[in-house]
Amino acid sequence: MVEGKFKSRSKKRVKTVVPGGKAVIHYRRKTPQKAKCAQCLAELHGIPAKINSTFKNLTKSQKTVARPFGGNLCSKCSRLTIKSQIKE
Amino acid sequence: MMEVGRLCVKIAGRDAGMSCLIVDILKDNFVLIDGQTRRRKCNMKHLEPLETVVKISSGADSATVTSELKKLNIVVMERKTKERKERPKKVIKHKLREKKEKVVKKVTKKDEKKEDSSLEKAVGGSDEKPKKAVKKKVTKKVEEVKK
Repeated sequence: MVEGKFKSRSKKRVKTVVPGGKAVIHYRRKTPQKAKCAQCLAELHGIPAKINSTFKNLTKSQKTVARPFGGNLCSKCSRLTIKSQIKE
Repeated sequence: MMEVGRLCVKIAGRDAGMSCLIVDILKDNFVLIDGQTRRRKCNMKHLEPLETVVKISSGADSATVTSELKKLNIVVMERKTKERKERPKKVIKHKLREKKEKVVKKVTKKDEKKEDSSLEKAVGGSDEKPKKAVKKKVTKKVEEVKK
C-alpha cells in the first residue's frame, strides 16, 4: 500500500529496477518551469530551473545574468527598454 | 555615423546602460570605446549612438576621455586594481595538535630536570660528594686489579 503523500499527482513517477530484480516505482519531485521574459514570455538563458532547496546553494553568478534587467527580461527586450530610456 | 569622439550608450552586456566615447575605429564593424564602461573592443551593433560629438584624437588616453565626459556632466568612477595579497597557508588541525603535544612534552621534561637540580642545590651540594666518592672507588678497584 502506497503512503498517502505519494498518491498525489504532483510528484513524478519513475519506473526503475532495483538490484534485487524487482520493478519499483520511485516518486520524485517535478522540476519547475523555466524562467521567462516579463515582456515577450521567451525562455531566459542562463537561469537554471531547479527546486528552491538546490537553487539557493548556487552562487550569485550561476543564478542571474550580469546584465541590467538580467534574469527578468531577455536580451532583446532589455536593449529595447534601454533605448527607450535614452530617448526619454 | 560612427566616428571618433561620438557619444554612445552601450546596450548589450554587463556594461549596458553606461555611456562611452568612441576612441578608435577597428576592422570589421568593431570600435574601441572608453568612458563609464571598460576600455574595450565593441561591436557597433551593441552601441546606441547619440547626437553629441567630442573632439578627441584617435587612440586617446582614458584620462582625456574622462575629462571630456566631465564637461558633459557624465561622472566616471575611478577604477582601482586590487593589490594581490599572499594567501595564508592551509593549517591542518590534527597536525597542529601534534605540534602542540610535542612542545608540551619537551617543556615538561626540561622542567623536571631543572626542578631536580634546584632541589639538590637547595639541600647543599649533595650531588658533588657522591661523584667524587664514585671516582675514588673506581680508582681503588683499578689499583687492586693491577696488583
